[in-house]
Amino acid sequence: MKWIREIWQSIVRRDPLSTDKGKSELVFLNVWLHIHPAKVKKENLRFKYSFYLGFITFFLFLILLTTGIALMCYYRPYPPAAYQDMKDLQFAVFMGSFLRNMHRWAAHAMVVCVFLHMCRVFYTGSYKKPRQFNWVVGVMLLLLTLGLSFTGYLLPWDQLAYWAITVGTNIGSYAPLVGGQLRELLLGGHAVGEAALLRFYVLHVAVLPSLVILLTIVHFWRVRKDGGLSRPIWKLKPQKTEALVTIGAPAAVAPLQVTAASKDKTYGLMEVVTGKPIFETVTPEEEKDTVFSYPYAFVREAVALMATVTSIMAISLFFNAPLEEMANPAVTPNPAKAPWYFLGLQELVSHSALLGGVVVPALMVVALILIPYIDRNPSRRPRERKWAIWLFTFFVVANIILIIVGTFFRGPGWAWVPPWVHVVARPE
Amino acid sequence: MERKLQQLFFALSLLALVLILVAEWQASTPSWKPYQRKFLQLEAQEEPNAVSKAAVLATPLAINQVVLPGLQRVDRCTTCHLGVEDPTMKNAPGPFHYHAGLGPHVPSKFGCTICHGGQGLATDMKDAHGNVAFWQTPLLPADYVRASCGRCHKEGDVPGVPELTEGRHLFETEGCHGCHKLNGVGGSIGPDLTEEGANHRSPEWLERHFLAPNAVSPGSAMPNFHFTREQARALTYYMLSLTSGDMGSYYSSERLIPSPEYGRQLFVEKDCIVCHAIGGVGAKVGPDLLGVTKRHSDEWLDEQLVNPELVYPGSSMPKYDLESNARKALVAFLASATPKDAQDILASKGHALTPEDAAIEAGKQDFARFGCAGCHGTELQGGVANPNAQGEQVPSLLHVSDDYTKEEVIGIIRDGRVSPMDNPKGSAPPLYMPSWKNVLSNEDINHIADFLWSKQQKKESW
Repeated sequence: MKWIREIWQSIVRRDPLSTDKGKSELVFLNVWLHIHPAKVKKENLRFKYSFYLGFITFFLFLILLTTGIALMCYYRPYPPAAYQDMKDLQFAVFMGSFLRNMHRWAAHAMVVCVFLHMCRVFYTGSYKKPRQFNWVVGVMLLLLTLGLSFTGYLLPWDQLAYWAITVGTNIGSYAPLVGGQLRELLLGGHAVGEAALLRFYVLHVAVLPSLVILLTIVHFWRVRKDGGLSRPIWKLKPQKTEALVTIGAPAAVAPLQVTAASKDKTYGLMEVVTGKPIFETVTPEEEKDTVFSYPYAFVREAVALMATVTSIMAISLFFNAPLEEMANPAVTPNPAKAPWYFLGLQELVSHSALLGGVVVPALMVVALILIPYIDRNPSRRPRERKWAIWLFTFFVVANIILIIVGTFFRGPGWAWVPPWVHVVARPE
Repeated sequence: MERKLQQLFFALSLLALVLILVAEWQASTPSWKPYQRKFLQLEAQEEPNAVSKAAVLATPLAINQVVLPGLQRVDRCTTCHLGVEDPTMKNAPGPFHYHAGLGPHVPSKFGCTICHGGQGLATDMKDAHGNVAFWQTPLLPADYVRASCGRCHKEGDVPGVPELTEGRHLFETEGCHGCHKLNGVGGSIGPDLTEEGANHRSPEWLERHFLAPNAVSPGSAMPNFHFTREQARALTYYMLSLTSGDMGSYYSSERLIPSPEYGRQLFVEKDCIVCHAIGGVGAKVGPDLLGVTKRHSDEWLDEQLVNPELVYPGSSMPKYDLESNARKALVAFLASATPKDAQDILASKGHALTPEDAAIEAGKQDFARFGCAGCHGTELQGGVANPNAQGEQVPSLLHVSDDYTKEEVIGIIRDGRVSPMDNPKGSAPPLYMPSWKNVLSNEDINHIADFLWSKQQKKESW
């Protein structure tokens, strides 16, 4: 029995989990878990603070990776084989439609969750110093998620895919000077065709996922380096932000303060530099507010993971991913609609191509990225940042209304048709 | 709290397991399996002893599919329709009975959907029979399945389907080309019909449409041709057979295999002898065709038959709109043609031919091919309703020479005419004689004028 214990010890290399040392070693001796701190702030574990939206988004991405790799085994990225493979998944491959449903619904859910996560971060003011750049990384991830969803939209090669991508790429081509060329580069031609399908496939399965993984690593790393999630607003220390000094500040201005260590604590010293660390510091009083990541944080994350997986599976059992007729460039549906998350844009384009297709979306992205640099108000309390909250709420509501209008209230010829009115298009 | 969370975690994990099992159950009980089991039971009944019965019942269930790259389809119909090729299943119930009268068209080589329609890849009944959203070609009603013969048998008579021959004939003689494009030839007033058989159109719709176009498509510019019920059905058959899809050489009917005999028949049908001679026997308008296959490559000859203008700019040879197999057959005939053939063909025509006859023949071909007959009538009698014309009818062309010189008529064909009245009841844009100068060459227009003049009825002398 001794040798079994020795082998086990050689794998885990930590003290028993009943000890505090064991609990912390579980985290920092493990390559996957050590992105967590050994201890986390109690308040940050509250569901109603973060709604675990970042985690849920990440778990959805994991579902997409695994189902996506499985789907790749059945998919040939050229017409008409691509469409036949969809039919094979639907009718012949064991659990094929379940697999495809999970991928489809998880993709939609991820777009929604990334957006909600962004809203949470904004309303709690968590993009403020020192987290400005992580907000920018987050906006990049939002754009990449839209890109992944958009490129994946074409792959089934049905009418829905073909015309959504035709409309979507047309919106992009309204950009002055480069718009047309960008569209051509993306499509590998003047219209959506074989070349476009291959390019979208390469982007969807190789380029964009790699970028998302890279940026996700950066995103998580910085959350960790910034001392975990930002402190809930109701737990804000008075003038906390004043105490923060960036690295490189003269030592005389902000001398390094060393608090007396208690007996049973261990410090690892990596490098001695002048200046205070950039992240939030923890005083011994605040230390009382923390708990070990094991099991408090891990069990909550595990629940979030299983809730995400079971929800997507349940939806996939009862709702099939749409699949229309095979793509046919000669038959244009009326109206041809972009994917739902671009329908707000399409609605704007229907009023003005240049303004709605280029100026407004470009300004929107630039404004999103610059939020932490424009909003220099250090306070995170809602009462003290009314303007920012009003503006952002306007942005969110306007987007949602435009998407709802584009999705449900537009009929043939992009005419105003409420969803409760049934229009039969006249056969030509 | 912590305990509850752990319990929640385990509950959710259990739920995930249950959901996976449900998905697996769903996937492993597809609706085709009961059919296969029932079929095996039927077969087992025939077995003499218990051992062989058990062996039959133990046959593993599997999706059957026929992969048909030549027809660009995969058909899984035989997953449930297991007896189609088994004559002993003649009296079998439900989906298992034998398909009699297929001749060489066995499902293992032709599949099912090429004739019947439906969704070949699907493996449950509703989807396979195609009566679902987003499937363009549901099963054809039994009455119309034979129309599909025309998808491969594109020329000549199709044995057992007189409707197709009749429909094709009506299309060519009633001038449908005047408004409708077919394989790139024809007008653009009505919709292109090249893929009509592949489009989602119910046979009933088509038939009602031919009987009264305005009743099913209000505001349609298509005149009512007063077809009989049989004619409407024949045209419906023809429409259902139209598709430009290449069926692959394997599926070409024997009739279309480019035999010299078929080529000779075409040579007679298209009156080639009116312009060409073989070894000095025949007309001298075009080149002598004796040994033409030795002077030119097959590709050159094919191109010449597709588009003479492209090979010889200014060539007076009309375009004949021949299928690729028909062109090959013509070339095969020319390779073996002798002056004796030409003499026989001339003898069967019964009278000598002059260059004028050649021009008139070419004009007649153009008149039919470009659909002039659609408005002016197959016998130039006119009378087709047109709300924008004087008298609300297209005038007869049988007395044109009374009012116009030949040059004036040529001018009218070339430039078209402005509608004399704009009738609000008529179609938009108003239907009237269009300008043909972008479609027809001057040569073609001259030929048509020659043809018109040959048909003029002399004014009764008094």
